[in-house]
Amino acid sequence: MKIIDAKNIDFSYDEITHAVKSVSFSVERGSYTTIIGHNGSGKSTIAKLLIGLLPCDSGSIHIDGLELSLSNLAKIRNKVGIVFQNPDNQFIGATVRDDIAFGLENHRIDSNLMDDIINEFAIKVNMFEYLDSEPTKLSGGQKQRVAIAGALAMNPEIIIFDESTSMLDPQGKNEINNFIQELHKEKDLTILSITHDIEEVCKSDNVIVMFDGKILMEGKPCDILNQTEKLVACNLDIPYAQKVVNELRLKGISISDNLTLESLVSEICLLSLKK
Amino acid sequence: MSIEFKKIDYTYSVNTPFQFVALKQIDLNIEMNKVTAIIGATGSGKSTLVQQLNGLILPTSGQLIVNDFVINANVKVRNLKSLRKNVGLVFQFPEYQLFEESIIKDIAFGPKNFGVPEDEANKIAKASLKLVGLDESYLEKSPLDLSGGQKRRVAIAGILAMEPDVLVLDEPTAGLDPQGAKQMMELFKKLNTVHNKTVLLVTHDMEHVYNYCDNVVVMKKGEVFLNSSVNTFFENTTYLDELNILAPNIIRLKNMLKNHNIDVSGCDDIHSICDKIVKELK
Repeated sequence: MKIIDAKNIDFSYDEITHAVKSVSFSVERGSYTTIIGHNGSGKSTIAKLLIGLLPCDSGSIHIDGLELSLSNLAKIRNKVGIVFQNPDNQFIGATVRDDIAFGLENHRIDSNLMDDIINEFAIKVNMFEYLDSEPTKLSGGQKQRVAIAGALAMNPEIIIFDESTSMLDPQGKNEINNFIQELHKEKDLTILSITHDIEEVCKSDNVIVMFDGKILMEGKPCDILNQTEKLVACNLDIPYAQKVVNELRLKGISISDNLTLESLVSEICLLSLKK
Repeated sequence: MSIEFKKIDYTYSVNTPFQFVALKQIDLNIEMNKVTAIIGATGSGKSTLVQQLNGLILPTSGQLIVNDFVINANVKVRNLKSLRKNVGLVFQFPEYQLFEESIIKDIAFGPKNFGVPEDEANKIAKASLKLVGLDESYLEKSPLDLSGGQKRRVAIAGILAMEPDVLVLDEPTAGLDPQGAKQMMELFKKLNTVHNKTVLLVTHDMEHVYNYCDNVVVMKKGEVFLNSSVNTFFENTTYLDELNILAPNIIRLKNMLKNHNIDVSGCDDIHSICDKIVKELK
């Protein structure tokens, strides 16, 4: 079942910048979809259109069957959470507790219930012991986890990650990526992640490739990430394992596409046994 | 010519409740005419370390030597301008600092500030723009009309226009798409090999460290955990495991193949590894 259904959406910032050009796509409930594309390809604009932060010039967006419109905006925002790129730009509260509370207060959640909700989600993102810490005492990864807790506390059906790990150190990035995976498996949560991280794309159910405001390709990672020429031509990269596959084929070895080093090495071992 | 940190400490907000020790007893030599990566977890002191290099923040104790320029803690520093001309510092997301109406004006701003006459400054601006791989057709355009990667190039050109010997960059590829990041790293390598610049860069990307850097400095909790050549650093994974960092793909592949008794020792790129695999399979 489609939880996001975008039809012919179009958006220009001004006469020159036509950011999204009649794009149509849909996302299945409970799936993990990644969007990749060069800088300026329209990825983040799409995220902003989906949560109604920017209005489409034309076309339509349905979220969970509801059409995105001014009158439905509040209802839609209850269904969609978003986590942005820069951890410092989205920490609003004076403490972790205040920060998670912000969204709840805005939704006039009963204050008797609020403490339990905050505790629940702080535990979920492993930040319970930091509830009374100030943001300056937290690492980038920790701040992003708080941002995720804030989004989760609203009980959304979809979470959009807009390059949420790109400013984190490798450890922070792993932490968040693993956490997103867990969330995805544990709940019936739909995840839409805009990313440059090829490892993350490999693990997703579906990938959408944006180029110059349009969708160039979409499909399963294994059917998309092996298209070397196309991806490189639009400023993207392919998994390292696939580079090795390409190189081996050039040298006359017949080997299948591989997204991960693990699968590549086991295939090489099998081939070596068969020789 | 040298860059030396001698027993440098740096504490933020001394004598306030927010006092925070960011650097502890840093003893460090940076090799000139090389590309050095500075890595470490968030909050380990990387940015504080590189900001010492052009006197943007001054050590609370210890001594810093950059070529013939010496900074001693608690001694008034004279002529910081000459240090700043020598060491160009590029912040994270430098494109946010573009402000002039045309690219040529933006790039020429730095040299003009150092007293270079306008004609000469414009000439330098043109050369710097070329250096970062943009042609002259961009000169009169507004820097705000460029893509993210192009803006960053212009911002870096603005620093290069001051003709520094040392170029320091804080996470120069953050937020760029994969090919944009690759071109940026190739640019730094070129500035080093062709134009003899000493390059220091803060990064989280181990692929970049492996492919483009000569040396690596690992910061941990305000201290220098390790200072070594890139080859030594990746030779065994003990350090990486200890730092909880995933090795670059090529190292991981080599280790996996080795565990399956496929000998790939001495291979340092994808081609030589594939040659060995082909030999194994034929």
